[in-house]
Amino acid sequence: MSARIAGMGWVTPLGRGVDEVWARLLRGEEAAAQIIPGPDGTRSYQGFLVPKEASNNLPPHPRLRRASAISRFAAAAGLDALAQAKSGNLKIEMESLALVFAVSNGGVAYTKRFYHGIVESGAQSASPLLFPETVFNAPASHLAAILGINGATYTIVGDGAVGILGIKMASELLETGAANHCLVVAAEEADWLLCDAYHKWRLLKSSTPLEPFFDPPRGAILSEGAGAVLLSAEGNVKIDSISPGGNFSHQRDAVEIVNRILQDLHDQAACIVASANGTFVDLAEREAIRQESPQSIVYSPKSALGESVGASALWQVIVAACALGGKQLPPMLHAARNTGLRFPGREAEVGPAAIVSSCGLNQQAAGLRLST
Amino acid sequence: MLSFNVLNVENLKNRVAVVAAGIVSPLGSGLEETRHSLRRATDCVTPVSSFDVSHCRCKTAAQIPDQRLLARRQKNRKNARLHRASHMMIAALAELLERDPGFRPEVTVIGTTSGGMSFGENYYRALHRQENLRRSPEWIANYPPQKPVLDAQSEFGISAPCFVIANACASGTNAIGRAFESVRSGKNERVLTGGYDALSELVFVGFDSLQAATPEKCRPFDRNRSGMVLGEGAALLALENLQSAQKRGAEILGEIIGYGISTDNHHLTQPDPSGSGPRRAMEQALESAACAADQVDYINAHGTATPFNDAAEGKAILELFGRVPVSSTKSMIGHSLGAAGAIEAVICLLALQSQFLPPNINFRETDPDLALNIVANESRDAKIDVALSNSFGFGGTNASVLIRKAVA
Repeated sequence: MSARIAGMGWVTPLGRGVDEVWARLLRGEEAAAQIIPGPDGTRSYQGFLVPKEASNNLPPHPRLRRASAISRFAAAAGLDALAQAKSGNLKIEMESLALVFAVSNGGVAYTKRFYHGIVESGAQSASPLLFPETVFNAPASHLAAILGINGATYTIVGDGAVGILGIKMASELLETGAANHCLVVAAEEADWLLCDAYHKWRLLKSSTPLEPFFDPPRGAILSEGAGAVLLSAEGNVKIDSISPGGNFSHQRDAVEIVNRILQDLHDQAACIVASANGTFVDLAEREAIRQESPQSIVYSPKSALGESVGASALWQVIVAACALGGKQLPPMLHAARNTGLRFPGREAEVGPAAIVSSCGLNQQAAGLRLST
Repeated sequence: MLSFNVLNVENLKNRVAVVAAGIVSPLGSGLEETRHSLRRATDCVTPVSSFDVSHCRCKTAAQIPDQRLLARRQKNRKNARLHRASHMMIAALAELLERDPGFRPEVTVIGTTSGGMSFGENYYRALHRQENLRRSPEWIANYPPQKPVLDAQSEFGISAPCFVIANACASGTNAIGRAFESVRSGKNERVLTGGYDALSELVFVGFDSLQAATPEKCRPFDRNRSGMVLGEGAALLALENLQSAQKRGAEILGEIIGYGISTDNHHLTQPDPSGSGPRRAMEQALESAACAADQVDYINAHGTATPFNDAAEGKAILELFGRVPVSSTKSMIGHSLGAAGAIEAVICLLALQSQFLPPNINFRETDPDLALNIVANESRDAKIDVALSNSFGFGGTNASVLIRKAVA
């Protein structure tokens, strides 16, 4: 049995809701960068942040009272995906629904607050209220409690490719009969500490725009939000194939693994929704696409939405599903010219298949192919 | 019986062998040292040495001395940069591959809770105190939870895709469960699985702040139990389709025969007092193995020694299994969080191999509300064919795996 996408939810710096965000992307809009100020005497960074109203209208569940932004994003996207599936008349019984939550950096804001208390005032000042929210699976636990899921709930961590691995895990839960439906949610929250860490790691640029596919790369801009897909036996978009990819030890080796993923998912007619984010990832994808799929139309949503790390692959999957549904891709913003890649243009129509290529910043890469 | 999460019978064609394992824990390095220390009921809990605990209620943990961890490692720049969690994973994988050099996984599924957390702490402290941040790129690069897994794989030329499960303290057992289902369903022939976690200040202080950690001895299931102590370590298991393992003449250490997972929505950090979450996980493990409760000869309990956890788990065990022998080996090695399930699965394998019941040390007085058959204070020889290992965690995640003795 191939898994299908029966519902989607999307919380982004461009707003909440698949239709709304997709329409804005098609219009060529990009999120407005905001200043993320640091502690006194430190530099500030630009990031793409989710507007406050995007995570409003959540159920008044006690679990969300103290929950961090990442948990609220995850809840909003997950609930929206379920609502969309139900609006398509899919019957979902909670006892046969599994949850896979994918994340990279996790609840950084609360973790920082918790540890700051220890560093500043000693262990005796550590907050027992904050500590449980620092755990990677806190957002999944809150969402499971809101939805009443009492079966399989998994949190998986990794780099930008983790969303694909989450979908792989979910599709296996369906294939083996461990669940009838599986909600895959990926979320991330932006924070100054993360920006500073990625900057020190020489992956971040200090101001917008995010410019994909330049050589040498110009740096990424971090963002936040969540994506969710409900996998089921029914749905308009089919997951044809998933490549769990592999790992690369050095940035220069990323091209080899992306190449292998594109070979695994091979479809010359498919468009490619890439993970290009202004870092070494762009060069790896550019090289691999030129070798394996030179005719494919290539689009990366990150110049419009930023690099949301753990949430990014699911955002790409949502983009690919929307592109297949609407037969078009948004314009590629701020990309380098003369890359040898085909970017979306007026004449370019999306065919029946789309490949998602997800190369992370910390040694993991994976991909999948969708079709209608 | 519940039907959810029980795999379709037609998908259950493959038996799943454990063909090799590797372990580093406070009990020792390697299966033999671990077996020996279990037999001797070694208490591995000592005063914390790696960070300041003077303002904590609890001041002890079960730790792996750095000199033991790094003794066999080459002193070079690359090794100096790695987190000690990476060194733990490398040590565990080295032993596993020494035992079965022919094992090459298609996929790796590992559990952890905190990755290279102490590197994150170093970074934040240096930032806060405006100290030298020269080492910050290596702290940041080696902080993510997948890094120790990738480091270990890379050390031995393995490049299998990695699934890193972070289901809090159930992570290790969930990882083994997913790996088991992957081989059992025929998705993969060989999967490397297990878990790791290294002690860190943030996590230590966190449990201390919740008053879940004890200033006394860790006494699981004791009437006067007062909380957990933390531990650390890594354990890996090589799972393989039994037929394929037999065909290539691999040694069979045991079989994983069942897995159950449940989510308890009662509270983020406390179990439902009824024990319904743990009970569902154990029931599902039994059902997935087509195994009756009275066929289980030993339970390695989650047994953190917190009043609520032991009460809920003990209640569920009593209801399902009655007087089956139970121990929590966390009494000896503390709670190693994401590694716990993997370490305890390896302990079950050793118990099945050598036909003994690992002890639950520091046990003084039976809890009148928990009439469990505790393996108190000393290991015991016993005929055991099937062992159950439990792990429960924050977020209400519950997981159980059933392990069977290798049939000669």
